[in-house]
Amino acid sequence: MNTVDVAPSVVCASADREVLRLVTDISNTSLADAAYRIDHAGHYPLDIMGALGQAGAFSAHLDRKGAKFGLAIDAMRAISRNCGSTGFLTWCHDVCGLYMEQSGNPALMGQVLDDHASGKTFGGTALSNPMKSFAGIEKMLLRAKKVPGGYLVSGALPWVSHIAPGQYCGAIAGVFGDDGTATHEIMFLLRCTDDVVLRQCPEFSGMEGTSTWGVKLDDYFVGEENLIADPAKPFIARIRAAFILLQTGMAVGVAQGSIDSILEVEPLLGHVNQFLHERPDALQAEFEDLAKRIQKLAVDPYDTSKDYLIEVLDARAQGAEFVLKASQSALLHQGARGYMMNTAPQRRIREAHFVAIVTPAIKHLRWEMARLSKQEMPA
Amino acid sequence: MTQAQWKQYICRACGLIYDEQAGDVDSGIAPGTRFEDIPDDWVCPLCGVIKSDFEPYDHTAVQAPVASHFNVSRATGVVIVGAGHAGWAVAEALRALDSSLPITIVTACNGDRYLKPELSIAMSRGLTRETLVRESGSEASERLSVRLLSDTFVVGLTPGLHQLRTTRGTLHYTSLVMAMGAQPALPAALSPQVCWRINDLAGWVGLHRMMQKSAQRIAIVGAGMVGCELADDFVRAGHQVTLLDTQAYPLSALLPLEASQKLLQGLQSAGVVFKGSTQITGTQVNHDHSKSVMTQDGLNIVADEVVAATGLVTDPRLAKAAGLTFDRGIVVDSLTLQTSAQDVFALGDCVSINGAPCRFIEPISKQAQAIAHAILHLDYAGYVHTQPVIRLKTKSIPVVMHGLPHSAGQWEVTEDQSDRLTMRQMYQGQQVSSLEVGKLAGRRRT
Repeated sequence: MNTVDVAPSVVCASADREVLRLVTDISNTSLADAAYRIDHAGHYPLDIMGALGQAGAFSAHLDRKGAKFGLAIDAMRAISRNCGSTGFLTWCHDVCGLYMEQSGNPALMGQVLDDHASGKTFGGTALSNPMKSFAGIEKMLLRAKKVPGGYLVSGALPWVSHIAPGQYCGAIAGVFGDDGTATHEIMFLLRCTDDVVLRQCPEFSGMEGTSTWGVKLDDYFVGEENLIADPAKPFIARIRAAFILLQTGMAVGVAQGSIDSILEVEPLLGHVNQFLHERPDALQAEFEDLAKRIQKLAVDPYDTSKDYLIEVLDARAQGAEFVLKASQSALLHQGARGYMMNTAPQRRIREAHFVAIVTPAIKHLRWEMARLSKQEMPA
Repeated sequence: MTQAQWKQYICRACGLIYDEQAGDVDSGIAPGTRFEDIPDDWVCPLCGVIKSDFEPYDHTAVQAPVASHFNVSRATGVVIVGAGHAGWAVAEALRALDSSLPITIVTACNGDRYLKPELSIAMSRGLTRETLVRESGSEASERLSVRLLSDTFVVGLTPGLHQLRTTRGTLHYTSLVMAMGAQPALPAALSPQVCWRINDLAGWVGLHRMMQKSAQRIAIVGAGMVGCELADDFVRAGHQVTLLDTQAYPLSALLPLEASQKLLQGLQSAGVVFKGSTQITGTQVNHDHSKSVMTQDGLNIVADEVVAATGLVTDPRLAKAAGLTFDRGIVVDSLTLQTSAQDVFALGDCVSINGAPCRFIEPISKQAQAIAHAILHLDYAGYVHTQPVIRLKTKSIPVVMHGLPHSAGQWEVTEDQSDRLTMRQMYQGQQVSSLEVGKLAGRRRT
């Protein structure tokens, strides 16, 4: 379906090129074919995720593979180009692997991580609420109390993606002492065992194939073998930029798919499409600028400086704005043919809206950039 | 003579207004002195330009036609980053030349207009936020028909796409003017939560609020131009001031030893306590809310407020990420003020001209004129960069320096009296710089 090969990125080593070739191949064939079923019927494409894991789509950014964030983002871009939902699953899976490896907890770094990184097992992330909580936007939903050998965690999260019975996700809970005062936060791998209640979510307008559930915990025990970070805040401070930067793969991928759709109808409709703004050449120029900046930022994603974080937030926000613009333009270019339920342009509009509102949403990104840009003064 | 007959004159360089009724008492011009009766050697008390650089102040300043409430939401036009003196100067210059050009100002503050040099002399003159602000941001934006995006931070720039990214969304421009100023350079030993910085009105207002309560003990770190001016201003306003510097004498990066010594005498006789050759190791807030400045010699200087006057730097992040040539400031062409990127200009404290930043108010209006003409493709001779006269607004002991001292030049004393010192610097047989320290500095005696 991809009518143009938009030069992706800076992938140098031949092994990396091979990973990208395999991922692109899966994306253009089985994933492109399944995209409608994923979007429309809520099909959770674990078979394709398994194949993508085998191909190396979910391990490039891990230290054990040389921390090639550029390649990880590029793989996510290639996947999102054909299916935004699977692109989001890729991000969920990638950051979960990142939590496990960066935890330094041997129980999460051996075979467990090998299986995760190669797509034999699956897990996501439940950090939307804690990330907003750390930014001062909302309250922490999970509460933990210390018990011998670990913590008991209670509370409910409204929607967590890429989980299912037998799967897992990274989560954070606020720890409270006996007197009810908050002491710190813990981060842990939440395993979806029988002790965890998964509740059906209301139907969303898109991203239905991402196996998204409400999670309810009632004195759920977290032992040391599942602790990712205690306390969690320094850990989050270290991985936050990497967490956000990885998301840009979804934005550039869905945007690139949109450019594909515009070019696809150019021979047929170019004579009238020339009257539209946001034409493919302008979109392509912005795509290339953004992709270049992302690849530059991907070189050192554990840089904890304020300037670096602002650059990452800026790229993530621009990615969200850009994908909204590109997907909207693609539908205008395609007209009625793109408005049919089984076509990509209308689906990408909903995927783009998701990129723009998933944590951190555009408004959160701007809030955070404004906070970081303010001068500190004596009180 | 009735009040209505008093006239006002505006400094073309910095915008200071000479009001005949009020005179300029600090420069020895009595209230009620007609502008034409002011001696010809009088200079602007803020920026130092000469009397002929003043013009009658026309209350009907540049005004956009009322009918031009054009819809700028989809237009591109000119985007100006920063609403300090430089940003507004460009907006004024553009609007005077073109009544319908869409202009947007993006600023982290609220855009209120004030003269930054006045902040150095404001406490002793009893000025307040209300008297410092000459026009609110919203009034100025309405008068000039400028879209003002206040409390907005610029986060990214892609010159190739003519795209400016802000915390309130992405803007597109036909021409961009960077006028975002410079930031206080705070050494690691000075905590931003402990030390005030007086580089904008908000910083001054915060400190003013604390100092208004009662006479305060103030520690000022850094005896450069701003540090010396603030020390003199605060002590004259009745506060106890300790001025600290790593060097043995104040302003020694600029002045030769004899002049620094004279300046020190003047500051000390005004009541400033100077502690030279002092390395700061840290600052903290004490339990009783007082603040401590700790030094390498084991001193613990306790003060009610601490002010850092440790110089300015241009934040390189935005310019570097955008690929603009940067060398201690955004590098601009000295004639056109264009940066290394197409359609991107810069002026004021954020630029670097001929390899050096130039952070004075006097050149800004001329820079703004050059940029406005370039943007509108109007013929213009171009900006001519000259070293501004440096005037230290320390009323106890004024300092005026002409020219630019050379690091290898030799200073010589040309006049040395108890209340006045004049010197000149020779380099390769030529006088490159001269300075006057003392009561009569800046005024030729007739």
